Amino acid sequence: MTEQTGLSGLVDRAALVTPPVVARRVRGLSERAIAWLFITPTMLLLLAINIFPLIWTIRLSFTNYRANRPNATVLDVGLANYQSILTDPDVWAAMTVTARFVFWSILIQTVLGFTLAWLIDKKFRGHGLWTTLILLPMMLSPAVVGNFWTFLYQPQIGLFNYVISALTGAPASSFQMLAQVPLAPWAIVIVDTWMWTPYVMLICLAGLRSIPDYIYEAAEVDRASPWRQFWSITLPMALPFIMLAVLFRGIENFKMFDMVNLLTGGGPGSTTEVASITLKREAFEKWRTGYSSAFAIILFVTVFGLANIYVKALNRVKSR
Amino acid sequence: MNGIAQDRPTEHAASRWPRPLRRGPMEAVATVLIAAGVLMLLQPFALVLYTYSFVTTLAGVVMFTIVSKFPD
Amino acid sequence: MTGLATAHSVVDPSPLTKRIAATVVIAYALVTLVPLLWIVMTGFKSPSDAIAYPPKIVAEPTLEGYCNLFTTRSRQAPEYMAKLPPPSGLCDRISRDRNMVIAGPSNYIPRYVNSLVIAFGSTALSIVLGTLAAYAFSRFKVPLKDDLLFFILSTRMMPPIAVAIPIYLMYRELGLSDTRLGMILLYTSVNISLAVWLLKGFMDEIPREYEEAAMVDGYTRLQAFFKVVLPQATTGIVATAIFCLIFAWNEYAFAVLLTSGTAQTAPPFIPIIIGEGGQDWPAVAAGTTLFLIPIVVFTVLLRKHLLRGITFGAVRK
Repeated sequence: MTEQTGLSGLVDRAALVTPPVVARRVRGLSERAIAWLFITPTMLLLLAINIFPLIWTIRLSFTNYRANRPNATVLDVGLANYQSILTDPDVWAAMTVTARFVFWSILIQTVLGFTLAWLIDKKFRGHGLWTTLILLPMMLSPAVVGNFWTFLYQPQIGLFNYVISALTGAPASSFQMLAQVPLAPWAIVIVDTWMWTPYVMLICLAGLRSIPDYIYEAAEVDRASPWRQFWSITLPMALPFIMLAVLFRGIENFKMFDMVNLLTGGGPGSTTEVASITLKREAFEKWRTGYSSAFAIILFVTVFGLANIYVKALNRVKSR
Repeated sequence: MNGIAQDRPTEHAASRWPRPLRRGPMEAVATVLIAAGVLMLLQPFALVLYTYSFVTTLAGVVMFTIVSKFPD
Repeated sequence: MTGLATAHSVVDPSPLTKRIAATVVIAYALVTLVPLLWIVMTGFKSPSDAIAYPPKIVAEPTLEGYCNLFTTRSRQAPEYMAKLPPPSGLCDRISRDRNMVIAGPSNYIPRYVNSLVIAFGSTALSIVLGTLAAYAFSRFKVPLKDDLLFFILSTRMMPPIAVAIPIYLMYRELGLSDTRLGMILLYTSVNISLAVWLLKGFMDEIPREYEEAAMVDGYTRLQAFFKVVLPQATTGIVATAIFCLIFAWNEYAFAVLLTSGTAQTAPPFIPIIIGEGGQDWPAVAAGTTLFLIPIVVFTVLLRKHLLRGITFGAVRK
């Protein structure tokens, strides 16, 4: 949690080393007052829009409150909501759907992204332009673009089906990416990969570029084969960056909502019902506010835990 | 130069703190707890593990928050 | 010496390696651009060309998709059509050809304007608050600094649906449901973490000596901040602002759950553009194209700072 000290610690130390030649003219506000004056508005906003609602959610998670019946009596149910979520095989199924989605999309993105970064790092002519073009999908709105993918996935007329049928010979109308149980999860993985491989690539590229040339030069002197150089220099030294990308994509995909909601809405059946979709159904369709608050807290704590690890990884990369 | 010299006092102060309870190893334990909790939440094998995943993650998070205050 | 490095040196890969790398990367780039090109192309197709099989790569361009995006139309009997005065514009003529009459403007422009207002409003607020906080975190000893910074960052990581439940209840109490102000505040609270972290990184890079020199010259701390630090941080502030803009522009989960009418932004609106008998794909594509153009421009402007933005300022080069 306090690992951010990497850089700020350095700055603080620099400040300590700097002799106090600066005559502190305390005209107007003192430094401490300015510090608080500058930080307080941000903190107030976050308290109002993040912390207060969070505390409210925790409170609600112990009740049977329903937001569509504000006048009904609210009963304290203790840990019953948590208990029913954590023993419900259907919710567990949603978690495993999420897990499978996270696992496959991240695996594919990491392999593809690292390979691309490694190739771009060969610095061929025009690599800057192509890198920028590759980065485009990740900046776009997952919802708006994901929505358009439903058009590409249309069974008869969609471009995706057409290309697949041209490549494999299977008729374009013989499969439905979004409506068939075995295919629907992959439809989402494909869009996610299309969109976020550039993200992994960009971070891997930074990792590869952070490896100083002299290490490779030394390896050349030792006549290490390129294969050996890759496994003993390139990959280990880029690993913290790969970890960073994997962790962040993991957190993002764990709470994935936009794309799934627009592509399949959780269907067919519940084959693509990831945790966020379950939560949305409980909270905004069934209006079980107390129950979904407990669910929200479970997701929340999980993400918070992963965020702790992410910040640790961030600092390891920062110190490079 | 100065920077290195200034690091010494903190090291000295920390040395009174028992070694296994320093921040580094304790944070590693908390990280493992969080990771275990997340894996238990997401695994498809046993409902029991899923049931206790939240408690595990929560313990990891609480521990992480506390031990990050320990000296290095 | 280094100039004479062999062709095998990793510092400069052999021409063959470079060629292979270029081929693979360019092939990947072209494949991933196909969906984007298809969006742009579909926007200029007629509805029948858009759903033709096999998909038409070359189709006669028409502005029908754009006309349909901006208008609502109603089907009329031929007798009624015959009595109408001659069509007054391009869109009018196109809809007459389909036996339709333009009934009025569609909701696309109001939604787009909402997107603009909310994105710029929340960005401005995030930047003002974020710059102040980032400066304080960068320059002063703040108690529990690291905890506060982590807390700020963790708010961004929260699942939007989990946050949406209490926000929904709170906004209902405060009368902020489906208002632009409510969305601006919400997006600001999400963006401010990015703003603080990124701007702190940029400010850490500005040497303290600048302000200290200014303070020796008789500036107060506040004057030094406004007259010395802010001008130095302009690039960082602009880059951060663009990141905030893109986030607010793209956001969907909060928008779809918390807005329904007056404050609805474009992302929840575009997927529900429907024509006769299902989605009007050319109109959807047209709406998507217009929605994506600003982001493409911003991405190109931002390309040097992208890495910083996606790692909260941790990775700089």
